[in-house]
Amino acid sequence: MTIRRLLAGVAIALVAIPAYAQQPAVPGWAIGRPEGSTLAPHAPRLTVTPADQLPVSSLRLPPGFRAEVYAHGIPGARMMAEGPNGTIFAGSRAIGRVYAISRNGDGTTRTRIIAQGLPQPNGLVMIGNNLYVFAVNRVLRYDNIEANLDSVPAPVELTQAFALPTDADHGGNHSWKFAALGPDGRIYTNVGVNCNICETDRDKFALLVSFNPDGSDRRIEARGVRNSVGMAHHPATRELWATNNARDWAGNDWPDDTLHRVRRSGEDHGFPFCSAGRADPQYNASRDCSEFVQPAALLGPHVAALGMRFYTGTMFPEAYRNQIFIARRGSWNRERLSGYDVVVAHLDAQGNVSRIEEFMTGLRDDANQRFLDRPVDVHVMRDGSLLVSGEQLGAIYRISYQQ
Amino acid sequence: MRLRLLTATAALAVAFCGSTVAQDAARGGSLAAERCAACHGDNGRSQMPETPSLAGQHASFVTLQMILIREGIRQVPAMAAVTEGMADKDIEDLAAYFASLPPGPPDDRPARDAALYAAGEAVIGPRRCGVCHLPALTGREQVPRIVGQREEYLLRAMTEYRDGQRVGADAQMNSAMVGISNAEIAALAHFLAQHD
Repeated sequence: MTIRRLLAGVAIALVAIPAYAQQPAVPGWAIGRPEGSTLAPHAPRLTVTPADQLPVSSLRLPPGFRAEVYAHGIPGARMMAEGPNGTIFAGSRAIGRVYAISRNGDGTTRTRIIAQGLPQPNGLVMIGNNLYVFAVNRVLRYDNIEANLDSVPAPVELTQAFALPTDADHGGNHSWKFAALGPDGRIYTNVGVNCNICETDRDKFALLVSFNPDGSDRRIEARGVRNSVGMAHHPATRELWATNNARDWAGNDWPDDTLHRVRRSGEDHGFPFCSAGRADPQYNASRDCSEFVQPAALLGPHVAALGMRFYTGTMFPEAYRNQIFIARRGSWNRERLSGYDVVVAHLDAQGNVSRIEEFMTGLRDDANQRFLDRPVDVHVMRDGSLLVSGEQLGAIYRISYQQ
Repeated sequence: MRLRLLTATAALAVAFCGSTVAQDAARGGSLAAERCAACHGDNGRSQMPETPSLAGQHASFVTLQMILIREGIRQVPAMAAVTEGMADKDIEDLAAYFASLPPGPPDDRPARDAALYAAGEAVIGPRRCGVCHLPALTGREQVPRIVGQREEYLLRAMTEYRDGQRVGADAQMNSAMVGISNAEIAALAHFLAQHD
């Protein structure tokens, strides 16, 4: 549409139909979004992809590592949690399912759907024998789940106890949860911001929060974190670390997604005033970015840095011990694709990030600007191997190491 | 429990990224004649109020919406029984069939109201419709073709997105409809329905 035609249309509307005279202000989600852009989220794939279509042979890893398909036929599989008997549970977003993936005697896997029809059940926490599912504001506890995979009893409803903001409170934005169990026995989760970028209630949104497992004693762990879909506690220092998705529509190369280190509960990490350590072009409100906690690392613009775990196994070389594996689901709000891989954040003796290193690549086809799968979460198995969930193709890859 | 469904579709060969290479549009056509045509039209152009036309709709869009309906994420009472337990392959073949049909307006499309049409056209730019639906508003992948669609269906869909009664794979449409008035939705629906 040309500007002239558009203006003509507005003029007709103004003259002929006064009801249309009140054109809306630019809505929050459209801030910075140029009218001529055609960047949009990539289409999800929510149907089964057969094993022989999985790009496991395209995966690139450092020497000595190998990748195999651990499980497949799990459309939309995202965040993973492991039960005491080795069942891998996987949450999802759009398809609304929670999966249970158990190992058969012959090494193959069996996948069951243990919950469905839930609103974006992305956050999973295993505490003892009980699985907690966080689906936006709904919180459900499936007791003794591994003993009941074939006939899952009704869950215990904890939604009111946690009293998380509803999807309507979020306006649909960043309402899905990541959840992790802290070394203090509390459940850590995110409350994402209710927009792309906006003035928001900073006591309600853009937070990392923790609760007792019964939903009581909410505590703000970090403020001004736009949307974290990955958290873990350092195995030695017990500090909380989190990935963060930065805002859209501020250019191809800014801001970076970030890694955050929370030294004390309640620290302010600066959103929406500052992102990736720099002033926001629309929402800085004259705040000095140095007054906020700086990101522990920059993880790349628009990469969608999501699930993260400290490597606590012994299978991988010593250099990986207590380092952070991070899944980068991959960009949409960028003209050229970025991410679609797993990286390692290496920490020095002081616990500062010394470098970000590519670990699992091969899913991003730069020449053709296509991607083969989208890594969303990582999980360290008890044998020290690393699982990587691929949401786009509904697969879980297993990475092992042999000298 | 849908384990049977998961394994039953494991033989399906699919090229990635929304490609419909391996889907069987002819098989989809047979399924559509049996299950879809009564409401969505023999040629995929709906003659039934409140029921969308699917002819020329993108396969990824049809597949996604049918999965959301089958899973109970998107509530469409008239579709619940049709999609219950439907295999992924059936859905993908149906989507390939509808994508192969030439799009077009319903036979009963009413006359154009020039003022309403112009008012609707004026909302397209400020609402950034073309960013996702593309400037021609013909959509791509999971984003639907919206031109030539039934007017009352468009009106209902936009209203449901605005009011949080409908969700997609993400919240893009909910965000795009924040704060829009009923009058603007009516104008948009008229413009889109009349625009080819």
